[in-house]
Amino acid sequence: MTKTRIIIVSPIGDIGQWVSQTIAKEVSKFFKFNARVETVLDDIFFAYNPDRKQYHSTKILEALEKKAPVDCIKIIAVTKEDLFIPILTHVYGEAQLGGKSCIISIARLIAGLEIETRVVVKESRRIVKEAIHELGHTFDLRHCDDQRCIMHYCRSLTDVDRKSSQFCRYCTIFLADNIRDFCR
Amino acid sequence: MKQTRILVVDDELIIRESLTGWLKRDGYHVQSVPSGEQAIDLLKTSSFDLLLLDIQMDGISGMDVLKHVKELYPDIDVIMITAFGSIPSAVQAMKFHAFDYLLKPFDPEELGVLIEKLIQHRAKIQENQFLKEDYQQRNRFESMIGQSRAMQEIFNLIEDIKDTETTVLITGETGTGKGLAAKAIHSNSRVSNGPFVSVNCGAIPKHIMESELFGHQKGAFTDAGETRKGRLELAGSGTLFLDEIGEISMRMQIDLLQVLEDKIFYRVGGTQPITTDFRVIAATNANLEKAIENRTFRKDLYYRLNVITFTMPPLRERKEDIPLLAKHFLIKTTQEINRGVERISRDAMDELMLYEWPGNVRELSNAIERAVVVCKTTTITPFDLPIVKELENKLKNKYFSLNDVEKHHIYQILTKNNWNISKSSIILGIDRSTLYNKIKLYDLKDDRDT
Repeated sequence: MTKTRIIIVSPIGDIGQWVSQTIAKEVSKFFKFNARVETVLDDIFFAYNPDRKQYHSTKILEALEKKAPVDCIKIIAVTKEDLFIPILTHVYGEAQLGGKSCIISIARLIAGLEIETRVVVKESRRIVKEAIHELGHTFDLRHCDDQRCIMHYCRSLTDVDRKSSQFCRYCTIFLADNIRDFCR
Repeated sequence: MKQTRILVVDDELIIRESLTGWLKRDGYHVQSVPSGEQAIDLLKTSSFDLLLLDIQMDGISGMDVLKHVKELYPDIDVIMITAFGSIPSAVQAMKFHAFDYLLKPFDPEELGVLIEKLIQHRAKIQENQFLKEDYQQRNRFESMIGQSRAMQEIFNLIEDIKDTETTVLITGETGTGKGLAAKAIHSNSRVSNGPFVSVNCGAIPKHIMESELFGHQKGAFTDAGETRKGRLELAGSGTLFLDEIGEISMRMQIDLLQVLEDKIFYRVGGTQPITTDFRVIAATNANLEKAIENRTFRKDLYYRLNVITFTMPPLRERKEDIPLLAKHFLIKTTQEINRGVERISRDAMDELMLYEWPGNVRELSNAIERAVVVCKTTTITPFDLPIVKELENKLKNKYFSLNDVEKHHIYQILTKNNWNISKSSIILGIDRSTLYNKIKLYDLKDDRDT
């Protein structure tokens, strides 16, 4: 475990402590870096689009990157607000490819369940999968054709549920290479 | 070829003595034996070029000796001699590859002419063999043609690596003959008896690449109606040539690296491991080091391939090979398409030498092929070459003197009319003596003898 390099999980607003902690635990396991929960950005109103009633994820990422602590190598924000990028109706998350920051929204992943209650296993798996997926992008992984791979692009919740919680063989190797290069 | 060694095999002493004496007088080395058995024994220790072999002998017959000789010493020619000739025995002798069949008594002159004919025949075979070996030696390796220093270095390198089974990476511009070099390495290697399996990594669609390389089991996917061996399996203990290796996907690079390292792979949908023992030769016109920087080629795969590397020189760096190559393509094309084009004019060869050949040898081959097709005479002229038109296009904005224009036009008319002065002068609208003067003035030459 690389102690000096940290991945920060930054909850935006009240998303439930267990969500942040679950993500931090899984992120650490997958990427072999320490992870901590720390609020870096608590207000994202600057990214709100009143016409769409959604938050523009790209703008949030820019702000997140600027505010990220010095010791953090990657930062993943988690929000319960619905996100969008201009060309799509919505996104479950967005990442800077090979960059520092990424974000996921749990709004659609928990499908209307109250966040205070411990969500059922399927929903929590969705959250973890999307978190790992977006962080994978920050380590320069592209979308994978393998439907079972965690890096597979998901258009719907069915796609999210169908894919496994693992990287495919190839993405595992690509990730290992990229992390090695990153750490040099 | 008075050094020809002849063995006379006949059970009649008088035949042996007279033949031996006569042939010795003619300058041949001659020995004689009275039986087939002794002939066979002698052949074990002495070498001969020609047997004069009696058919009817006690013990082993001449026919049996003939069969024995042709089986064990196929280079020895045999003339059958007999007093009891028959069509069936003559046919049988020829069937067993006797050179000829003579009836005793025969005219010594006739025998002398026959032996002379045989010697010339053998000389021709040896000459052809020598020429072939010399051609191969001069021009080297499996259609790789070149006498230039650059190519000699390539040939020397291929010679150096022929006894190894190390992975080779061949780089070079497109059309420089990387594939031919790969074949040459294979043909000169210890695995030359094995297959040479080529994979064009740039041409095979990505979605079938895996199946193409690894094969598939029946039912592995929708269109897998039967089990199929992939190229890796087909390569066996031979050579796997991966052309355009730079085009291979990152995923396939991982798979390939694993196979190269572990020497094991599985067919798509298969569970049975298949071991491999092929030698890998890869080729690319891409800059792999740059591709590594751009993260489109894996460094570990590059190091695995880059054990021995050499670069095929572009044609512009070995222009001295152009005449040889051009003639080779001319012969090849005229044979393939049955055209009577026999030569390349001096001017045309000059144009070939001037051109830079961005497409290298392949472009030259295409240019000659096209020229053979469009050529209206037995000689390729500059006007038949597509490259000249390119040069002409480039020169369109340049200005020429009237003399240049006239010279060019007269030459064109003469060439098109096979240097028929009368016809050309009529077309040009000048008399014959004026045309002769113009030819002298511009130093125009009939290149049809080039």
